[in-house]
Amino acid sequence: MRDTSAPPPILEVRGLDKSFGGIHVTRRVSLALAPGERRVILGPNGAGKTTLFNLLVGELRPGAGEIVFLGQPITRLSVPARARLGIARSYQKNNLFEELTIRENLALAAAASLGDTRSFFRDCFRNPELRAIVDEVAEQVFLTEILDTEVRNASYGNRRQLEVGIALAARPKLLLMDEPTSGVGPGMIEGFNRMMQALPRSLSMVIIEHDMDLAFDVADRITVMNQGEVVFEGAPAETRDNATVREIYLGDWQGHA
Amino acid sequence: MFRQTPIRTGAGIALIAGLAIHASRGGYFDREIVIEIAILAMLAISLDIVAGFGRMISLCHGAIFGLAAYGYGTAIVKFGLPPSTGLVIGIALAIAFGALVGAICAGTVGIFYIMATLAFGQIAYVLIFESRWLGGDDGMTGVRRMDLSLIGLNMRDSLTFALVCLAVLVLVYIAAAVVLRSSFGRTLSGIHANEARMRAVGINTRMHKTAAFAFSAALAGIAGVLKAQHTMFVSPELLFWTLSGEVLIIVILGGIGTLIGPAIGATLLVLLKHEVSHYTVYWHVVVGAVLILAVLAGGRGLFGEFEYRLARWRARRRARRGTGGAADA
Repeated sequence: MRDTSAPPPILEVRGLDKSFGGIHVTRRVSLALAPGERRVILGPNGAGKTTLFNLLVGELRPGAGEIVFLGQPITRLSVPARARLGIARSYQKNNLFEELTIRENLALAAAASLGDTRSFFRDCFRNPELRAIVDEVAEQVFLTEILDTEVRNASYGNRRQLEVGIALAARPKLLLMDEPTSGVGPGMIEGFNRMMQALPRSLSMVIIEHDMDLAFDVADRITVMNQGEVVFEGAPAETRDNATVREIYLGDWQGHA
Repeated sequence: MFRQTPIRTGAGIALIAGLAIHASRGGYFDREIVIEIAILAMLAISLDIVAGFGRMISLCHGAIFGLAAYGYGTAIVKFGLPPSTGLVIGIALAIAFGALVGAICAGTVGIFYIMATLAFGQIAYVLIFESRWLGGDDGMTGVRRMDLSLIGLNMRDSLTFALVCLAVLVLVYIAAAVVLRSSFGRTLSGIHANEARMRAVGINTRMHKTAAFAFSAALAGIAGVLKAQHTMFVSPELLFWTLSGEVLIIVILGGIGTLIGPAIGATLLVLLKHEVSHYTVYWHVVVGAVLILAVLAGGRGLFGEFEYRLARWRARRRARRGTGGAADA
């Protein structure tokens, strides 16, 4: 008998496949994400983690397979159409509005989420709903103090925070974070940990992360990828003990440390 | 992100007042120059909306301008319609062409955008140039001005016409400023700053860019309809790509993305052209040299450079005050 108490997954990926010429970067990837779940994806460089994100948000089209979000097939939808359904991502390399202030960066994403982008007369920046989102997100990513700083004058760490902030200001149901701590120091990684722990439990997240402590802290479940394939999926505790994972990923990681 | 700063408002008022005084004190020739400046300034402002706030460098704004002029002229000369109907037809034609070109080019960026718009502009030019019905390369005479005697304006009077052109320029600027500060304009500025990220937060950027281009075309169309009324004659040269190039030069010289800068650029270019042509027929050489200097100086243009230096000076003054005069300059 089916377990009727378990809610249907918010995101379901079935047999996703992608090749660039002769290079097979994503191999029959399947996974299901429960509503509110926090999933961390681990894997060495070149494992196909970012490619998977690009497929999920529509920046790449898969050769085969299907993506279902909130029960709706989205495999053929454009990037903005998927974003409007509630998928937002942050990037591994900062992808910000460089010449604008941090406040404006968040406001542009908030305006998009409110659908307040078309009026020729009304100014969305004066919309109280938008301001509320900007203030809330600024607090979530610890940028309240420097909202009026131009991005190009902000520190690298602050830009990493804003990278996630823009995605949050789009008011997603599913947040994909591609190495949020990429390039920041140990002190800031702790800050990112607190930031993620404080996000609402209702928000489903998929996080690509290289920092082991953060990954095991944040994750409800962990997916390990290697050479385009999902090689393991399980709870954080199982992951640590799994022999395959140790061999292909943790071994490699320890080698670098 | 567009900001209507007091400096910009001040510069705009000073410019319009100066031109109005020049027109009322001067003779017929001075008024002709003021009219030329006002029309070119409108065209430059319309181009700045897409080039300075949407990263769409268009080389077909001359064609849009010319099509509107032909729309106005054809309605009157060929169909015997009243000038007010011609006005609507001219602007509608500009919007339709702008929406078409904007929609087709919205997926391209950079040099490809420039080339695609150039090609569409030249297609419009050739179609009109080859049309016998529209007079081919001879153009069309007998284009009347609008009759505004109901509100007490004699449009055949050169001073009245010059002042009407200045008033329309003010309205065009206000329309552009209002739209750039609206939700639509904010989102356009976001696309200018990072189009890929705007798509990632849910904006259909192609549709947004198309709408912005159509709006810009409407303002270029207003300038075109005034041009047809000014010369009371339309010819294919209005659509030729060199006019588009000249307007782009004006926008860059004045300060791309400053909105008032292009209006100032139009004024300086027209004045420079008339002054230098007293001495030499090679006035383009002088304009070219000024353009090279402007680009080498950082590409901010005259007004953009002025604003940049002002902001730096203010920041330095603030820093000095904040640290009790000990700050390093």
